[in-house]
Amino acid sequence: MVRLPLGLGLIALLIAAPAYAEIARIKQSSGVAYVERNAQQLKPVPGLQLLTGDKLVTGKDGRMSLSFVDNTRFAVGPNSRISVNEFQYDRTRQKGSFVTQVDRGSLAVVSGRIAKSDRDAMKVRTPNTLLGVRGTKFIVEVPE
Amino acid sequence: MSWIRLAAASLLLGGCATSSLVLLPDDEGHQGSVAVLEAGGKPTESVIAEGNSRTKLGTVSAAPQPLGAKGLKAQEAALLSNLPPPAKSFILYFDEGTVTPTPASQAVLAELRAEIASRSGPQVEVTGHTDTVGSEEDNDRLSLQRAEEVLGWLASQGFDRSLMSATGRGERELKEPTVDNFSSAANRRVEVIVR
Repeated sequence: MVRLPLGLGLIALLIAAPAYAEIARIKQSSGVAYVERNAQQLKPVPGLQLLTGDKLVTGKDGRMSLSFVDNTRFAVGPNSRISVNEFQYDRTRQKGSFVTQVDRGSLAVVSGRIAKSDRDAMKVRTPNTLLGVRGTKFIVEVPE
Repeated sequence: MSWIRLAAASLLLGGCATSSLVLLPDDEGHQGSVAVLEAGGKPTESVIAEGNSRTKLGTVSAAPQPLGAKGLKAQEAALLSNLPPPAKSFILYFDEGTVTPTPASQAVLAELRAEIASRSGPQVEVTGHTDTVGSEEDNDRLSLQRAEEVLGWLASQGFDRSLMSATGRGERELKEPTVDNFSSAANRRVEVIVR
C-alpha cells in the first residue's frame, strides 16, 4: 500500500522528463552551421530542440541563433565552436545553473532567469578565462 | 625543436590574449556586469561593470576600455542583430470554476496567435492557475485543464503540439494574495510565454 504513491510519483516523473530535457530551440541559421550531438551532426533547422552537451559549430559564413527555456538568448557568429556543457533549470523556482564553453568564434548573449537566480549561476568559459554572468548583454570573442 | 616549441607556445599565448569581452546595456537600458572568476588558470576577483566597453581577457586584472566613437565592429553589430527577439508573455483570464476565457481574453488569444505565427522556431509555454475557491486537488486539475484548453485552441489554429507545453500550478502562485476560498478574477488565469 505504501508503494503505490511512490510508483505513481515515478510515472509522473517519467512523463514530465521529456519536457525538461529540452533546454533551447534553434531560431534561425544560415551558411555552414550544425549542431554536434555525440557523433552526429544535426542540421540547425528552426525549432530544433537542443540538449545539454550539444555543440554549436559554424563555418566561415555560418550563423545560428537560439532561445533557451530560461529566456537566455544566443547569437553564434562565423567560425565558432561553442558547447553548452551544463544547463539545469527549475521552471517553477526559476533557478538553475548554466555553463557555456566558447572554444573559438563569437557569441552574443542576453542572459535570462538563471543568471538572475543566483550569483554566477551562469558561467562562460573561454580557453583562458572563466566568466560569471551577472545579468546582462555581452559578446565574447575567441579568435582561432 | 625547442625553438619551434617556443614559437608555438607564444603563438598560442598570443591567440589567447586577444580573446575579448564586449559588455553592453540590456534592451531595457540596465547595465549588468560580468565577473572574471579565473584568468590564465588563476582565480581573480575582477568585475567588469562598465557598459559599452571592451576588455581583453586572460590577464589577472581586467582593464575595460570604452568603445568610444568607433563603437562596435561591423561583425559585432551583425552578431547582435542576429539575436532572437525577447520572450513575450500573455495573460488570459477565466470565468469562475470554468475553462472559458473571459470575453476580454478572447482578444488576447488572437494576439497570441499572431505572435506565435510571427516567430521562427517558436516555443510556447502555457501555465494554468486558479483562485483559492475549492480544494487544492480540484484546483490542480482545473489549472491544468485551463492550460490545456488554451493549448488545444492553439493546436486548432494550426500550431503543432510539439511547439507547446501545458502545466497547471493550481492555487500555488496567486497573482493577488488572498485567504482560502476567496473568489479572485485576477488569480483565475493562464500565463503564456512565447519564445
